Amino acid sequence: MAHQAHAYHMVDPSPWPLTGAIAALLLTSGLAIWMHTHSAILLTLGLILLLLTMYQWWRDIIRESTFLGHHTPPVQKGLRYGMILFITSEVFFFLGFFWAFYHSSLAPTPELGGCWPPTGITTLDPFEVPLLNTAVLLASGVTVTWAHHSIMEGHRKQAIQSLVLTILLGFYFTALQAMEYYEAPFTIADGVYGSTFFVATGFHGLHVIIGSTFLAVCLLRQINFHFTSNHHFGFEAAAWYWHFVDVVWLFLYISIYWWGS
Amino acid sequence: MYYKLSGFTQRLTGCSPATAYNPQGMKQGLPAESPTMVLSEARAPADHMEGNRVPDLQRIFQKPDGRPVHLKRGYPDRLLYRTTMALTVGGVAYCLVALYIQSQPKRQ
Repeated sequence: MAHQAHAYHMVDPSPWPLTGAIAALLLTSGLAIWMHTHSAILLTLGLILLLLTMYQWWRDIIRESTFLGHHTPPVQKGLRYGMILFITSEVFFFLGFFWAFYHSSLAPTPELGGCWPPTGITTLDPFEVPLLNTAVLLASGVTVTWAHHSIMEGHRKQAIQSLVLTILLGFYFTALQAMEYYEAPFTIADGVYGSTFFVATGFHGLHVIIGSTFLAVCLLRQINFHFTSNHHFGFEAAAWYWHFVDVVWLFLYISIYWWGS
Repeated sequence: MYYKLSGFTQRLTGCSPATAYNPQGMKQGLPAESPTMVLSEARAPADHMEGNRVPDLQRIFQKPDGRPVHLKRGYPDRLLYRTTMALTVGGVAYCLVALYIQSQPKRQ
């Protein structure tokens, strides 16, 4: 192998961008075909291919970083910028839903009865389950910070305990939201109130599930000694993502659950 | 002499051994310079490092066998890779056929 005189990571040729792109093709075509013909074969194929790609691609990144040592400080800097840009794009994704909500609620049309919440909509009480959800997510923000400090100070057991606690709080939030959806007195088909409510909170719920999965992978890596006290960017990215999800919830709670009711 | 990348100047600067850049987990097994031996402090690996397979895996993955990273572990990697590629090729073919059928209007 030629001697490398720089600190950058020259990646091996990888099949995963191709398989990921094909998975996207199968998912979109599969979704359209499923909606038209009720045949879910292509959709299922796309989902399986997507899951296989995600597993192997991220497995390879762990190999490159932890086992091959390719994530040098300049490479980590690039990963940081990448994660910051990704979360910024997510902020704008949610901004769109908040825009739709405020557009509809600040000047309610005559069809809605000229008021918000629209005539005939019974809203959820913001001081019941949603307030508990707020407390749960805020508490998980504390436990994830506890996990970070434990990793930095080399307290292996505490890091595992606090990560487990964070993931459990994430699952508790998801369970409470599922219950709240089940009991809600309106549906996604109940006009602009139902659609803005369920699209915004639904995508937030999806992000909580993704964040919990990301943290669960970090827990497995922590158990397997992948994180050192000064090199654990995978965990930091998960923590950033988790805080982002937490902040989006605070805006959802204040706007849709409290002000909007 | 130890070096680290200064986050401020983006250049290598001198530093103490403790803050020098070391690839993940390589500190225990492969010290760059052997420390002065102090017998009274010699002890077995700490309990909390028991079960740490990272150094073994680093040895396996750093073997220069010319294989790309996604096939480095041999048979299980090859099996997963081939399954994925088969699904990719088969999926594209199935997708094109399904889209073609959808594009044909039904005759009454």
